[in-house]
Amino acid sequence: MSQSIETFYEVMRRQGITRRSFLKFCSLTAAALGLGPAFAPKIANAMETKPRTPVIWVHGLECTCCSESFIRSAHPLVKDVVLSMISLDYDDTLMASAGHQAEAALQETIEKYKGNYILAVEGNPPLNEDGMYCIIGGKPFVEQLRHAAKDAKAIISWGACASYGCVQAAKPNPTRATPVHKVITDKPIIKVPGCPPIAEVMTGVITYMLTFDRMPELDRQGRPKMFYGQRIHDKCYRRPHFDAGQFVENWDDDAARRGECLYKMGCKGPTTYNACSTVRWNEGVSFPIQSGHGCIGCSEDGFWDNGPFYDRLAQVKQFGVEENADTLGRAAAAGVGGAIAVHAAVSALKRAQHKNEIKKGSSMSQGEE
Amino acid sequence: MSETTRLIAGPFNRVEGDLEITLDITDGRVREARANSPLFRGFEMILVGKTPLDALTLTPRICGICSVSQSMAAARAIAQAIGVTPPAPGQLVAALIHAVENLADHLTHFHLFFMPDFTRPAYAGRPWHDRMVTRFTAAEGSAIRSATRARADLLHIMGQLAGKWPHTLSLQPGGVTKAPDARDKVRILATLKACRRFLESDLFAAPLEEVAALDGEDALDRWRRAAPRGDTGLFLDVAEDLELDRMGAGPPRFLSVGAYETPAGFLFARGLFKDGATGPVPLERVEEHLAHSWMTGATAHPFAGVTQPDPDMADPAYSWCKAPRLAGETVEVGAFARQVVDNHPLARALLRDGAANVRARVLGRLLEVARTALALEAWAAALSPGASHMARSHALETGRGAGLVEAARGSLGHWLVARDGKIKSYQIIAPTTWNFSPRDSQGLPGPVEQALEGALVKPGETTPLSVQHIVRSFDPCMVCTVH
Repeated sequence: MSQSIETFYEVMRRQGITRRSFLKFCSLTAAALGLGPAFAPKIANAMETKPRTPVIWVHGLECTCCSESFIRSAHPLVKDVVLSMISLDYDDTLMASAGHQAEAALQETIEKYKGNYILAVEGNPPLNEDGMYCIIGGKPFVEQLRHAAKDAKAIISWGACASYGCVQAAKPNPTRATPVHKVITDKPIIKVPGCPPIAEVMTGVITYMLTFDRMPELDRQGRPKMFYGQRIHDKCYRRPHFDAGQFVENWDDDAARRGECLYKMGCKGPTTYNACSTVRWNEGVSFPIQSGHGCIGCSEDGFWDNGPFYDRLAQVKQFGVEENADTLGRAAAAGVGGAIAVHAAVSALKRAQHKNEIKKGSSMSQGEE
Repeated sequence: MSETTRLIAGPFNRVEGDLEITLDITDGRVREARANSPLFRGFEMILVGKTPLDALTLTPRICGICSVSQSMAAARAIAQAIGVTPPAPGQLVAALIHAVENLADHLTHFHLFFMPDFTRPAYAGRPWHDRMVTRFTAAEGSAIRSATRARADLLHIMGQLAGKWPHTLSLQPGGVTKAPDARDKVRILATLKACRRFLESDLFAAPLEEVAALDGEDALDRWRRAAPRGDTGLFLDVAEDLELDRMGAGPPRFLSVGAYETPAGFLFARGLFKDGATGPVPLERVEEHLAHSWMTGATAHPFAGVTQPDPDMADPAYSWCKAPRLAGETVEVGAFARQVVDNHPLARALLRDGAANVRARVLGRLLEVARTALALEAWAAALSPGASHMARSHALETGRGAGLVEAARGSLGHWLVARDGKIKSYQIIAPTTWNFSPRDSQGLPGPVEQALEGALVKPGETTPLSVQHIVRSFDPCMVCTVH
């Protein structure tokens, strides 16, 4: 079976990607995954010798934001390569065929690559009324999902919808929208939550799986640790203001103009694990906190029901000091606790500097900006 | 020979969300069409009982590609209910963010969703087919690659002004949370310049000003013959060869609730175009009919409407979509409708018997791309770093408000009623709800259903090409339609 499948390298060459670009892709991938330059040749070797992993991409109840995010991922080369890897198989939003042809293409892909393909799921199945709230090709999506999952070797749950249920599962969850892992229980599932997930995180995860033919290391919730290992708050560039007790209290106050901490405006950064404050959005341009709006915690389970979004999180402790933001703010202003705040600010700055160095290095190697 | 056969076309690819169309075919032509949106999530039910401000984060999730329009509509509805007006600089930034999204959507539609249909083997041998295959083969055509790139670059502005896209958060009832600084302004201007370069080299092969100034079919024809006109020229060749102007006539009525409101007024006017002229919009006469929807309840204005799905999915209903009507009539919405309502001479000239068609809808969108890109440059130049971009507002306790905006695909409305600090009722009519509505209580078909009547079905076709062209010319967004 597998000898009939091309290697990734062959696919890329056939798609007009030069060897030079291929090697560049390998080093970019190594950098994006935080593996260091020594891994680039290993990635190259894997892609030259191993049969490519087919990908089937299906959509349930969702808003297509995950696809939208994905098709705009940072490096054009990475996007082209990854798209060329997956568009060969089946994706309902981007593919050329329609109607019954498309259904046939899905079936053919499943049969051809039985047991070998990765199933990428965007959105989730609603289970009320026998699944009739989401009908694909005359059948409930949940049937398509079960059918496509049966012969998959692993499943990627893209975004908050597939991972946790997201907005349509918010109370009262009118359609009983259900995350993928509660419907498919006998396959390895990797969750890539976020509404949507960051493009670079999506390409990073899929490239890792295609290249190494295994799952990256996951946390207890099933998210890849390399991208969901830290809180937004841990790497937030406004963290020094939090530590110093400087908070925005109104959208248009002086603190807002100075870019101080948004915790009191409802920012969920302190309880949210994601890469927004490091990888950032729209090709590393910014992220919500940088635009003056708090994080809404969209990569956490059940975040829609943890609102209201503009109310502050209760009782977030700061670096072991048993104070909340109000009392600490007063304390810092009075000059007590100031030393601790300074210390924390310095360490945050160091982290930020270190991060910038890495960023600079990688963007230089991309020949951009 | 006049036997009627039934065909179910769908699922459609390269549209946002899921769509199925039932076609009754007689003598090789579509006699009747029924559009079904087979996806229902229940946003209007989820919103009830929440804090009104939470609509700002919840409603954008209706749709991943027009999320800014949804948050604009939510912010406007809340702003109207509490009686706050954003300061002028805040309005300008909001218009910029919104127009960038709409422009990006138009580029996606033309390059990724609409044009690839003409690369099909069924069109092999047509004089334009080879060019089409090179430029627009799905996922690998050269135009698709360059447009995807240009679009990603354009969306840097979203990053800068709004933190992230999709699902931007910075729009608030009182203005925007991000006040651009001088550095942002310079970068935005540079990004728009790059966008102009792409449009003027690939899409139009002509200056934007020249496209915006085209004032009729004669001018368009002269312009087209004067030089190769990029992918727009390619589309014009196809439209002529396949007579796309005789395909997909919709209702002879067009609605726009007005696009991009700044202190200078709307960039594209608000109005209802019918019988050859633009008049005021009777907004109090917007109603949603439920006779052919899997919903229970009575015909109602969205301030009084309810969303109660019918679990039995009983006949004669066939869609989750409600059927909005304006003063009892269907209206077409979208980029072409906006240009017609705004009285642009080229748009008016593209009408056939007072109605739109496949060619007019696509050209209307391209015209709007040029006009919007020009407006963006002017707004970016007028950004005022250092000014206040947010008016002080307060929590909404009790009140009601309507948020009306023009999304890429047409008129979008949010109707909010709040009581004691909670949402009591929240009704949404999206552009594709107007265009892809099922039949109403009089049995009158929705705009796309009407546009499909008479479409050619060739022997052996299961998802007829003409049907696909007509459906995609509306740029449907099915996830918005039924929310």
